[in-house]
Amino acid sequence: MNLNPDDFMSLMEDRTNFSDGDKILLNKHADWGLAIAPTMANHFYKYLGRDVEMSAILNDKEGRMHRLRETFVQWFHEMFTGMDNWGTAYAERRWRIGLVHVQIGIGPQHVVPAMATVVHEVGKQLKIDGQPEELKDALSRICMIDLAFIEQAYVEVSSAAVLKETGWTEGLFRRLIATGAGSM
Amino acid sequence: MAINTEKLGYILQNFVSTTSDVQGAAIVTPDGLPLASNLPGGMDEERVSAMSAAMLSLGERIGKELARGIIDRLYVEGDEGISILTSCGQDAVFLVLAGRAAKQGVLMLEIKRTVSDLKHTLF
Repeated sequence: MNLNPDDFMSLMEDRTNFSDGDKILLNKHADWGLAIAPTMANHFYKYLGRDVEMSAILNDKEGRMHRLRETFVQWFHEMFTGMDNWGTAYAERRWRIGLVHVQIGIGPQHVVPAMATVVHEVGKQLKIDGQPEELKDALSRICMIDLAFIEQAYVEVSSAAVLKETGWTEGLFRRLIATGAGSM
Repeated sequence: MAINTEKLGYILQNFVSTTSDVQGAAIVTPDGLPLASNLPGGMDEERVSAMSAAMLSLGERIGKELARGIIDRLYVEGDEGISILTSCGQDAVFLVLAGRAAKQGVLMLEIKRTVSDLKHTLF
């Protein structure tokens, strides 16, 4: 189950209707995105930190929280700049971020609501700063794509580990999931 | 050359009906798809096929991990009977279900013969 980040990015752009208009709008407000990124990092990690398990993970190693905050600011800004017009570099970086989430143990159950908090806070900030409402929609769409990368990383890594340990083929694994799910 | 599924079905039917205390048999792909089967009523062919392939593959993996060499067969014994999974080359797995009364020497010999017939038909 080797995911091609480029193909996955294209697929998700189609599915979420992330348009050229969204890209132009985000690009235009890239400086604003960078300016509010540290505040959004505060909201994101404040939300995650409320959970005892997450708090332990975030503060597990010295300096981890600081590095994660820096990565968040960079990540948030990249949603506006698109790096290489939301191309290969963007897709591969999202995939990498997903893998890091798996390695650290920050699962979709934590990231999804935390990201929703960020989108909500962006909406409030947008009104305060007099930015267009469409910007929130564009940001929500690219946020959903980034979330999909994180969720998919979990699925891919878990599946790859099972295939490696059992020697099962990918077809067999999918069949077992389908028949197993069908009996639940 | 196309696989003769009719002949596969015939081999299984012959094996099940002529071998004492055999209750069913199936031949499936390593992906868990059924090629042919002759199973007791009520057994889901799709599920049995997926489980058979999963079990043999996992058995081979365990054999490798525990340095048991190439695994010829897997044997699962319960109080209602036995299941034997035999590799049938790289592209197929042979499952046999038998009652507890089955004479194992005879059964193994019949399985060996049938695997040879199945391989001949498959490859």
